[in-house]
Amino acid sequence: MPEGAIEIKDLRVDYGDFVAVKDISLSIPYGEVFGLVGPNGAGKTSTFRVLATLMEPTYGEVSLAGIDILEDTERAREVIGYMPDLAPVPSDLKLWEFLDFHADTHRLGNGKARRERVDECLDTVNLTSKENAWCKELSRGQTQRLVLAKTLLHRPQVMILDEPASGLDPLSRREMRHALQRLAQGGATVLVSSHILTELAEMCSSLCVMNEGNLLASGTASQVREQLGRKERTVRASFLEVTEGVKSWLAGDGRVTEVRADGPVLSFSLVGDDEAQAGFLAELAGGGFGLKSFVEEGSSFEDILVEVAEGNRGS
Amino acid sequence: MSAAGENRERGRAVPFWMIWANPIVRRYARSRLRPVGFLGMALVMVLLAGFIFFISRQTAMSRGDMELVDAARIPIIPLLVLQGIILLMLGTGQVAGSMTAEADEGTLEYQRLAPMTPLSKVVGYLFGLPIREWVIFWATMPFSIVSMWQGEVPLGIALQLYGVFIGAGVLYHLTGLLAGTVMKNRRWAFLGSIGLIFVLYTILPQVAKFGLVYLKYLTIRPVVEEFFSYFIERRAGLVVETLQELAPTARFFGLNLPQSAFTLLSQGVLIGVVVTMLWRTWRRSESHLLGKVGAVGFFAWVQVALLGNALPVIDSGDLFPSREFGRRFGRFTNRGGRDWEPEEAEIFMMIGAFGLVTLILIWALSFLIIPDEEGQVRGWRRARKLGRSKLSPRSDPATATPWVLLMVAIGSGGWYVFAKALVESRWFPEFVLSPTVLIALPMVLFTGGILVQTVLETKGRKFTGFVIILVGVVPVMLGMIAGVTRNELLPASVWLIGISPVSWTMYASQVVVPIDEFPADVLRGIPLAFWFWQGVAALLSLWMLNLLRETRKRIAEKTR
Repeated sequence: MPEGAIEIKDLRVDYGDFVAVKDISLSIPYGEVFGLVGPNGAGKTSTFRVLATLMEPTYGEVSLAGIDILEDTERAREVIGYMPDLAPVPSDLKLWEFLDFHADTHRLGNGKARRERVDECLDTVNLTSKENAWCKELSRGQTQRLVLAKTLLHRPQVMILDEPASGLDPLSRREMRHALQRLAQGGATVLVSSHILTELAEMCSSLCVMNEGNLLASGTASQVREQLGRKERTVRASFLEVTEGVKSWLAGDGRVTEVRADGPVLSFSLVGDDEAQAGFLAELAGGGFGLKSFVEEGSSFEDILVEVAEGNRGS
Repeated sequence: MSAAGENRERGRAVPFWMIWANPIVRRYARSRLRPVGFLGMALVMVLLAGFIFFISRQTAMSRGDMELVDAARIPIIPLLVLQGIILLMLGTGQVAGSMTAEADEGTLEYQRLAPMTPLSKVVGYLFGLPIREWVIFWATMPFSIVSMWQGEVPLGIALQLYGVFIGAGVLYHLTGLLAGTVMKNRRWAFLGSIGLIFVLYTILPQVAKFGLVYLKYLTIRPVVEEFFSYFIERRAGLVVETLQELAPTARFFGLNLPQSAFTLLSQGVLIGVVVTMLWRTWRRSESHLLGKVGAVGFFAWVQVALLGNALPVIDSGDLFPSREFGRRFGRFTNRGGRDWEPEEAEIFMMIGAFGLVTLILIWALSFLIIPDEEGQVRGWRRARKLGRSKLSPRSDPATATPWVLLMVAIGSGGWYVFAKALVESRWFPEFVLSPTVLIALPMVLFTGGILVQTVLETKGRKFTGFVIILVGVVPVMLGMIAGVTRNELLPASVWLIGISPVSWTMYASQVVVPIDEFPADVLRGIPLAFWFWQGVAALLSLWMLNLLRETRKRIAEKTR
């Protein structure tokens, strides 16, 4: 089996008696945009800081692009691009100087070669027009973009982005999403956390949910849903006309738990796995109820996370 | 091109010694040498240096009728003072303040991630943060060079002087860097590091007079004093040279090391220690500033340095504070050099001071190497995961007790050698060391060292601070107030002061070499109070050692 871009085995982080991350293991393949989801205090930031080599775990093994980050920290730093939440920028440098400095620490060639790479990255985040502005003059969103440019400078193989979209306007968010997906297509692996979960679901090819230091589930969006025991899914179906016949047929089927009518549209919750769902929809389409179309409603990760967070409070 | 391919094509890492190519130095050269800000300060300092240069030599030539060679020497010392303000004071403050600011802003985190070796990062900040002060310092150097050239100061002497000066700059900047890294508050880091230089040049030379000659080598004073005759008018210089021949300067263990060589050696050791501390912090932010072996090694070096500088000057009398006082003020006090003899009280003061410095050093190093509970929990969990049943005694989470005991043993040896050399010197034929010396000195260091270490390790730093104030400071204050209020309260005062570990080394000094320069009540009271409180402290130490053992056991158990 090929080794993943990010391999975590038995990772644990303690702060005195408090266990922030409890023996988690995770493997993320190359070229993925992987989301890390969880309520506050779930252990996301501690995990990110360990992966970014900013913190030593209590124990555990972590390798990034095949490099053991605890054994060979300096070499690991060559392949990591880390963007912290609320990333700061120095007040005494201009944009291009800030990027040039970081290009220099990554030894990206002489002055001319560095400058070319700096210009490329400024262009990627649409800040070329501001290259001679002082870092301190930037807005929150511009600062986020600048730090993203810094993170991209050395073409990292593994990018660790903590809330990268915070402070960005909708257009910039979309641009960032596309930029990250382009990077992943180029072979980089992106690990990203965000509180805007619908956005994360759109952006990520896989994700995992953490809570109270534990890894609750990981995989594609539907796999995560299933692992969390939320096998219900909501289907919106449009009919030529919503008749009593279709309503009673739905109400009489044990696989349907809840039916709501909204004009010619019926929303209902289905229990069961993908095969059960497929079978049910085939019966519905062939039942002569005047079905025009149907769509599975994007299952709400927010709902899942809210439930997880409420579970925390209750426990 | 793949990301891996890009990585392979990157340039090689810049070696730490290539300061000019260090990215952090280049980053600060860019930001701190911008014409706005830099030029103003540079202009003021260069103008000031020029003014000092011209006004002092012109005054000497036209008003003092000096020849050019003599007049040219006059600005050397004032220029050195100005350069000291620029490089040593402003530079150190800049390093400490900027480092704290970077940590405050959070931009320091980026530097942790930069793929540079920890040593390259230390060197980068060391020469990058004060780059403006370095450039301005070099801009004032032409005035010093012209002064020394026209003043016919030998090149070797000029090089030794500025070698030590630059060494001091590096050492002080490193201390500022350490203060900035460790302290959370920018203002305190700035003030703390400036304060350190103030202490080095004002308070330590005074302490150095009490037998702790080594402390003066942390400054550039010994080198300036040695070559002073070259920095003044030639005729006055001859007088200074004659005086220096009459009272030759101390040599390390009698070796014929030049002052500049020993100063550079002392600076070099401290630079090594501070670089190690910073290297450890950059390598792993959770690390102790010093490892346990490093702390004991540093302690041993200080003991060797203290002894090496003190022992050779006992017989000449230069170790005794009254000797210098007699030389300076002999004509007023009728205590000239020829009929000078050390006073009995000096033996008491010097033995006590040596012990006190040793004890304070044990406390300071204990503070650096004790593990906190969080560190122990992490250490135990990691050890258990790796299938180990014990912590490595050298590791940060291990207890500091064996290492403190090692320092107690080394310190007791050093203290004993110092006391013996002093008492058996030609100055005090009537004194002998009491046999109790073999118990009293190690006991003071054991109880003092172990109590502080065990309280630190079991109860934490804040609680220890509270205990130090309550047990170390308050009894001394109360005892002194009682002592000066009424003579009848003197015995009580002796017993009260005796509670404080700070007083133990002085009491031990009186116990091992009894002198009769104190009131009878004090003479009677000191040995009794000393042995009583040492007994109490020894019992407390054993109890605390047991408590520490149980606390560590509890922590280890809960990680199972």
